[in-house]
Amino acid sequence: MYSTELLTQTLIAGVMIGVLYALMALGITFIYSIVRMINWAMGEFYMLGSYIQYVAVAYALGRNYWWLAILVSTAGTFLIGYLLEPILIKPMHVRPMERRDDYATVVTIALLLMLRSLAVAIGGPYQYRPETNLPIMWVGPLPMEGARVAASVFALVALALFYLVISRTWIGLALRAMAQNRVAAQTSGVNVFRLDAVAFAIGVALAGLAGALLAPLFLVYPTNGAVTTVKGFEIIVIGGLGSIPGALIGGVLLGVVESLGAAFISSPYQNAYGFVLVLLVLLVRPYGLFGERGREA
Amino acid sequence: MSDVLATSGLTKRYGGLMANERVAIALSRGEIRGLIGPNGAGKTTLVNLVTGIERPDAGDVMLDGLAVTGLGPHRIAARGLVRSFQVARVFGNLTVRENLMVPYFACERISGTIEALARMDELLRLSTLQPLADDLAKSLSGGQRMLLQACAGFMIPGVKVHVLDEPFAGINPVVKDTLIDLILKENQSGATFLIVSHEMEIIRRICPLVTVMIGGKVAAEGPLEEIARREDVVTAYLGRSLQ
Repeated sequence: MYSTELLTQTLIAGVMIGVLYALMALGITFIYSIVRMINWAMGEFYMLGSYIQYVAVAYALGRNYWWLAILVSTAGTFLIGYLLEPILIKPMHVRPMERRDDYATVVTIALLLMLRSLAVAIGGPYQYRPETNLPIMWVGPLPMEGARVAASVFALVALALFYLVISRTWIGLALRAMAQNRVAAQTSGVNVFRLDAVAFAIGVALAGLAGALLAPLFLVYPTNGAVTTVKGFEIIVIGGLGSIPGALIGGVLLGVVESLGAAFISSPYQNAYGFVLVLLVLLVRPYGLFGERGREA
Repeated sequence: MSDVLATSGLTKRYGGLMANERVAIALSRGEIRGLIGPNGAGKTTLVNLVTGIERPDAGDVMLDGLAVTGLGPHRIAARGLVRSFQVARVFGNLTVRENLMVPYFACERISGTIEALARMDELLRLSTLQPLADDLAKSLSGGQRMLLQACAGFMIPGVKVHVLDEPFAGINPVVKDTLIDLILKENQSGATFLIVSHEMEIIRRICPLVTVMIGGKVAAEGPLEEIARREDVVTAYLGRSLQ
């Protein structure tokens, strides 16, 4: 039963789903770092991404252009985020600039309910599945659905792109500065309100991308973001809030642990193994693997 | 009208406390003005009002003849009114060099990058931070952070007025001199300064004119020597004499 082949397969599968979890976690942690609030509606942007993917493939582009639909879904959630932030989130933060995040956080919970209801109202309580033209692929010794492989590859590319933008562009520099000291960034001339919207949009676009990529596997329905959101937050606790490496490594770790648990212990409990990991991390490092005890002022 | 920065009737109230009451000050172009006063006199409040950190209850702030009252700090910075904080606000997890790039790119984006890099090297040299250029800012000492903060302000192109809030507080004498030299050099190239400080020796050296605030109001204005002889100013600082 304990063959090396099974172990390899399990590890590969774990890492592949892990990078997708990492997308969600990265979105949560990024928005928290810049806009200074927890976005509870992350799963609903995941849901939006999956719906856009379905509509784009089924009604406009066709299954051969599923990859173009992925880009459309990501851009679409980015745009929705960019337009929503100034309307819903920004007014919740009033002067002075050292802001309270409570109101904004509550607004994202309202947004969660609103978007879910909207999905039910428009698409009904049904499940949809956007098609792709991908065949079964072999990853090492492991046969896998093409969509799953493609999802991991897209996710890796997106993570690399995210890293490049943050580390190599002026907007990335401004965002990093803002994450560390909002007031100083603003008195340096950084337009923090516009960058809030940009950061929020990037964060939710990561969720939308994950939703679009996983839509062929986990299907499209109004509450499909819930489980992924919970995983995103598990990863945040594991990796440490506000830490980008924490989100990446935490995501892969969670994917691997779930896979191993499902393969070697019992698969119906797949979603529970992550919580065991969370509990272990909390016992050893309550601030997460990469979290800081206090933030640099 | 040669006043580069002028306030009129500037008023800010915190509950029952009148932090600033009808404050009017005017800085002419190229001036280094000292702003002194006992603790709680409203100096920092004035700085906050002028630089947009807080919105005044009444009154106006004019920069180069244009009202900037109530604009956000980033807009005011972009128009050429830049401040430093009493506790240096640097970006701890960015390198010294990156710290200097933030204000430049924030206001200027990408045009003129070559000049900006030259400017950065010059400032690194003048501020003696050159050897630390690629270290993270959180590894700097308090005085070095002050220097870095000041240099970051000097990186913004076309700044008209620098407002420095207690730039000399708690830093060692060598760093103080470096900072003074930097200020004087910037001043020679045309920048106007408003410096809040308790360091009378430095104020005496570099500020021809001094504004004194007491109890939220402007109490006196003039050369430090003159002001130091005024009864009301001495009383505010030291209390009434005993006899």
